[in-house]
Amino acid sequence: MPRDMQAEALANASDEVLLARYAAGEPAAARVLTLRLTPRVLGYAARMLGDAAEAEDVAQEAMLRLWRAAPGWRAGEAQVSTWLYRVVTNLCMDRLRARRRRPAAALDDAPEVPDGAMGAEAGLIEADRMVALQAALDALPERQRQAVVLRHIEGLANPEIAAVMEIGVEAVESLTARAKRALTAILSGRREELGYDDEA
Amino acid sequence: MTTRHEDGMTEAGLEDLFAEARAARPVPSEALMARVMAEALAEQPRAVVALAAAVPQPGAGAGQGLWARLSWVFGGAGALAGMGTAAAAGLYIGFVQPVGLSGIEEAMLGTPLETVELIPSVDVLLSGN
Repeated sequence: MPRDMQAEALANASDEVLLARYAAGEPAAARVLTLRLTPRVLGYAARMLGDAAEAEDVAQEAMLRLWRAAPGWRAGEAQVSTWLYRVVTNLCMDRLRARRRRPAAALDDAPEVPDGAMGAEAGLIEADRMVALQAALDALPERQRQAVVLRHIEGLANPEIAAVMEIGVEAVESLTARAKRALTAILSGRREELGYDDEA
Repeated sequence: MTTRHEDGMTEAGLEDLFAEARAARPVPSEALMARVMAEALAEQPRAVVALAAAVPQPGAGAGQGLWARLSWVFGGAGALAGMGTAAAAGLYIGFVQPVGLSGIEEAMLGTPLETVELIPSVDVLLSGN
């Protein structure tokens, strides 16, 4: 098969097929998997941790675990993306737990909790809205944060989130509903800052 | 100055924020991608086909001599040349005892060493001394 056709076939192959070809020693499969999965892993870790440097460490560690799991991967047992999201979830939880164990002085480094009485400034740029969303996500209980990030930012379906979180679909629905209510309440105090009052 | 809406963030507003977050997914740095790729290749099992092609097969090809196969096993002709030099030096020292060595021998033992008994004689073992 010509090189171009081979590259196109790899780009269209499923994660599972690529992982099998990686395990068979095909370097091109390593490249496609890296390009495809690293951004997703990094994005999820960044939303969970709210810290870019820590998210990079988690992404690299999760991908390393994938490479090491490849030779023993049993086709059909689990989806690669589900497995990977679960690994990232566990790595993030470890880091969040470690943060809680830090001395109280380190709390100065924690993101600011949204405060309804904060000074308002209308029409802030999109980046500020993302900062506000991240602060609100950080204020959620961890399981709610996982569920809402996987559903509404990563775009996973509820059954896949259930597989990642190892809970039932109904529990996922409950967690995302509670998370959205909490986010709405938290962000209501910052609505003006988010630039939604211009039309008032 | 704008006034605050008491009804707060709406569900539609939250959906808009999610959409922005999806569009603003962080882009991995080149350094991170390079690290991930390097680890992928370092951890990757070697392809059986590629390895089989690299290993000289016994009896495959009349031109594949012993020297070439030894050279491959020991990591190239350079490594083999080094081993040859070391072997020749050992042989030389064994046959032609250098003056320096006999000097050390006298200093350590007091007398020149004529013979070394590597296996004690049976008499010594039986005497129990």
